[in-house]
Amino acid sequence: MEIRIKDLSKDYFSEGKRITALANVDLTIPANQIFTLLGPSGCGKTTLLRCIVGLETPDSGEIAIGEEIVWSKEKSIYVPTEKRGLSMVFQTYAIWPHMNVFNNVAYPLQTRNEPKEDIKRKVEKTLRFVQLEGFENRPATKLSGGQQQRVALARALVAEPKVILFDEPLSNLDAKLREETRKELRSFLTELKITAVYVTHDRIEALSLSDDIAVMKHGRIIEVGAPQKIYFDSDHRFVADFIGRANLINGTVETVEGSYTIVDSGIGTIACQKDPDIVPGNEVTLCVRPEFITVMKGDTGDGRNIFRGKVESLVFVGDAYEAEIIIADTRLITRIEPTATIKESDGIVLSFDPDHCFALSK
Amino acid sequence: MKTVMFNTRAALTPSLIAIVGFLTVCPVVMLVFGSFSEGLGAFGAFTLEKYIRSYTDPDFARIIFNTLIFTIGSAFAATVLALFLAYLNTRTNIPFKFLFRIISIIPMMIPHILFSVSWVLLLNPSNGILNLLVRELFGLEGAFLNIYTLPGMILVESLLDLPIAYLIIAPAMSSFDITLEESSKVFGGSDLRTLRKITLPILRPAILASVILVTVRSLASFAVPSVIGMPGRLYVLSTHIYRIISTGFAADYGMAAAVGMSVLATSITLIYLYRYLTSESEKYVTISSRGYKPTVIDLKNAKYPLFAIVAIISFVLIVLPVLVLFYTSLVPYSMVPSAKAFAMMSWKHWVEVLKDPISLVSLKNSVFLGIVGATLGVILSIFVSYVIVKIRTAAAGALESLSFLSFSFPGIVVGIGFMWFFVRTPLYATIWSLLIGYIATYLPYGIRPMTSAFVQIHSHLEESSRVCGGGTLYTLRRIVIPLLIPGIVSGWILMATMFVRELSLSVVLSRPGTEVLAVQILHFAEDGLWGKLSALGIIMIFISTTLVVIASLIGTKMTKVETVSQ
Repeated sequence: MEIRIKDLSKDYFSEGKRITALANVDLTIPANQIFTLLGPSGCGKTTLLRCIVGLETPDSGEIAIGEEIVWSKEKSIYVPTEKRGLSMVFQTYAIWPHMNVFNNVAYPLQTRNEPKEDIKRKVEKTLRFVQLEGFENRPATKLSGGQQQRVALARALVAEPKVILFDEPLSNLDAKLREETRKELRSFLTELKITAVYVTHDRIEALSLSDDIAVMKHGRIIEVGAPQKIYFDSDHRFVADFIGRANLINGTVETVEGSYTIVDSGIGTIACQKDPDIVPGNEVTLCVRPEFITVMKGDTGDGRNIFRGKVESLVFVGDAYEAEIIIADTRLITRIEPTATIKESDGIVLSFDPDHCFALSK
Repeated sequence: MKTVMFNTRAALTPSLIAIVGFLTVCPVVMLVFGSFSEGLGAFGAFTLEKYIRSYTDPDFARIIFNTLIFTIGSAFAATVLALFLAYLNTRTNIPFKFLFRIISIIPMMIPHILFSVSWVLLLNPSNGILNLLVRELFGLEGAFLNIYTLPGMILVESLLDLPIAYLIIAPAMSSFDITLEESSKVFGGSDLRTLRKITLPILRPAILASVILVTVRSLASFAVPSVIGMPGRLYVLSTHIYRIISTGFAADYGMAAAVGMSVLATSITLIYLYRYLTSESEKYVTISSRGYKPTVIDLKNAKYPLFAIVAIISFVLIVLPVLVLFYTSLVPYSMVPSAKAFAMMSWKHWVEVLKDPISLVSLKNSVFLGIVGATLGVILSIFVSYVIVKIRTAAAGALESLSFLSFSFPGIVVGIGFMWFFVRTPLYATIWSLLIGYIATYLPYGIRPMTSAFVQIHSHLEESSRVCGGGTLYTLRRIVIPLLIPGIVSGWILMATMFVRELSLSVVLSRPGTEVLAVQILHFAEDGLWGKLSALGIIMIFISTTLVVIASLIGTKMTKVETVSQ
C-alpha cells in the first residue's frame, strides 16, 4: 500500500527550547517496496515513522495510507494507532517479557479475536518462516538477541499486514549477525511483497536493503532516490558526504567537453561527469569516492585527473590500507591494495576515474 | 476516542495533585494552625502562648538532650553495624551468606512494639528473664542489666533500624567498582591509605544517607521510647508529645502541635538532605555491571568467630523476640525457663485475650485497615507512579515532591495535625480517619515499588501492543497490569504489614471503638499485662505473615497465567 505524506510538520519542546522535528515533509512511499529513511540522529526520521504509525501526533499536514487518510489536521481526522492495521518492529524489539513466544507472536491475531485454531495455524506458519519452529513455549526473555529480533519480526508478519515499519531493528545486534539478518530481511520482504518503511542511521544498511532511500536532515527530506543514484550521483553535498567516505574538493567549472565537465581545482584540472545544470563559471564541489582513486608508485606524469602526491599516513583496515594523501594543501582519503608495497611518506601518483567524479553545485 | 482519552489523561495529574496534596499538606497546615490556636474545639484567637509554654518548660532541655543522644546514638550504632555486616557479606568469604538477606528483610515483619516488649521481658530490672537468670545463677542482688536506660533504648532502636541501614549501605558496597581500589594499590597506596582515601570517601554518601535516615526514623520512633523509655521516666520528643495529649482532661493539642512543629521541621530538613545525598550518590558511586567479582578477602581463622557474631545478631533480631513472646504468653508470670515453668504453662492468656472485647475490636480493625487500607493505598500509588514515571511534566514533578514529603512524617506529629482536621469533620473517631492518616503517612512505601515497576515497562512495550491492534483497555489488561503485578504485590505487602502494626499515628487518632492492635498492646504494656500482650502480639505477627503469604501466592499465580495459557 502506498503511503502519502503531505506538508507534515511537528515541533516539540525540550528543556524550554523549541525543536523542529519535521518541517513541511512531502513524501510518497511507493507500495511493495523497501523504503528507507536515512539520516543522522535527530534528523526526524523516527518522528516521521512514529507519525505514520500514530504514536505521535504531527502539528499540521496529512497522512494517507492506501486510500484512507489516517491523519489530517485540516479535516480533523485521527485514526488511532490500533485501528491503522500497520505493524512495526521496534528498536528494542519490545518483546513482552511476561509472555512466551507463542503469545507474543499471536498477540496481533488475539486483538482481532480470530478463532483459536486459525491463530495456532498462523503462528506456527510464521514461526517456521522466521526459523523459530518449536520455540512456542519458551519464555520470551530466555531468547538470544537474534532470536528476540525474529520473534519481533514474526509478530510483525503474522497478521499479514500491508505495511511494516522498522525502527532501527538491527542496531542491537552484533556486527556479524547484523549483516546476516540484513540479507534475510531483504529476502523476506521481497518475497512477501509488503510495503516496508525502514528507519536507520547506518548507510550500509540503507544501501544494501532498500529499493529507495530518503535522506533526511533537520526535519527535512534532502533527497530521495535509489541507492546507486544516492551514492554515485547525489545532488547534495550533505548527502554525498553522509552516504559514504568522500573527498570533497572545491573548484570552478572551466568548460564542458563532450560527456565531461572540466573543473579547475586547488589540486589541478579534473574531468567529471557532465551535469546539465552546471555551466562554465559555476563554483562547484567535486565528490570523489576513495575507491575510484587509483594509487601508483612513482612520480611520473601530471595532467588531467592525474596528480602527484605524498603518503601522509597509512592505516591497515583488513581488506585494504586506508591512506591519507597530500596534494598541494589538499588532503585526500584513498584505498590501497594490501599487497601494494607503498610506505608512509612515499611519493605516489593518483588518478581519478572521470566517470565516477561528480560535481555538486554549491 | 482521542479526545476522551486525552481528557482523562490531562485530568489525571491535577486530580492526583489534589488528593496527594490533601493527604500530605493538610496535616502540616493544620498542625501550624493548631500550634497558634487556643483550643482543639475552636481555633480561637491567634496566640503564641502554646509555643511559649512548651519551649520554656523546665523539663524541655532534658527532653531535647535525651532525644539527641537517642537519635544520634541509634543512627551511629545502626550504621556501624550495617557497615560491618555489608563488608562481611560483599567482600569476605564468610559462610552462609543467605543469613544477610534474612537479616535485611525479615525484621521488617516483626512489629517494633513487640520487639521492644521482648527486650523489656528479657532485661527489665525487676523480673526480666535474663536478669532473673543471672540472679539465680550467681546469687546476685538487684538487676544485672537495666533496659530502662538510654543505652538500652539505643540498643533496641539501632537493632530495629539495622535493616534500613543495611539496605542503603550493602548495595553501595556491592556496586563499588573494585578497580578504583586496585588502581590505588597499583599507584602505591597501602591498604589503610586505600581504605581511608578511596573506599570510605566513595561510600560516604551511602554512609551519610544511612545516618540521616536512621536519625529521622528514631526521631519518629514511638515504640521504643514508650515501652522502654517511659517506665524509666526517660522522655524524648515523641513520648513528650504523647504525654501532653494523654493526660486525661488536661490534654492540650495546641502544645502538642507546637512541640510537633520542631520535630516535623527537623524531619523534613533531614529527609530532603537525604534525598539530595542519594541523588548525588547515584552520580558518585560507580555502578559497574561488568560482571567481575570483587576480590574476596579470606578471613582464615577469623571466619567462624565472625560468623558467630552474625549468627547471634540474626538470632537476636528474628528468633528471640518471637520466642520470648510465645514463652511469656504461656507462663502465668515472669519466670526463668525451667521444668517448673513448663509444668505451669497454659493457654490462659490466649483464652483471656480472645474473650476480651477490646482486643477483638482491635483485631478486627487492624485486619480491616491492613486489607482495605493497603488496597486503596496501592491503587493511589499506581496512578501516582504512572504520572511520575510516564507523564513527566512539571506538574508530575510537583506530584513526586508532594508524595515524597510524607516520607519524613513522624506518625505522632502527623496524627496531631490530622486530629486538628478530623475533629471538624464527621470522620472524627471513625475507622476512616485512621485509614486516611495511614495512607497519607505511608504513601511513599507504596509508590516506591510501583515507580520501579513502571520504570521497567519500556514505552515500546505499550506502543507495540497498540500497533498490534490493542486498544487502551486491551493494552492495560494484557500488557501493563501483568507487568506491574510484582510491584503491586510488594507495595501491597509493605503497606499491609505496616498498617497492621501501626502504632505512632494510631495512639493519637484511635478512640473507643476504633482501637487497633498496636495501641491495645501498648495499653497492655502500660498495665504490665505481659501474658495477654504476648498472646495478642503472636496473633499480630501471625496475621501479618498470613497477609504476606496470601499476597505472594496471588501474585505468583497472576504472573504465571500468560506463560501457561495458550
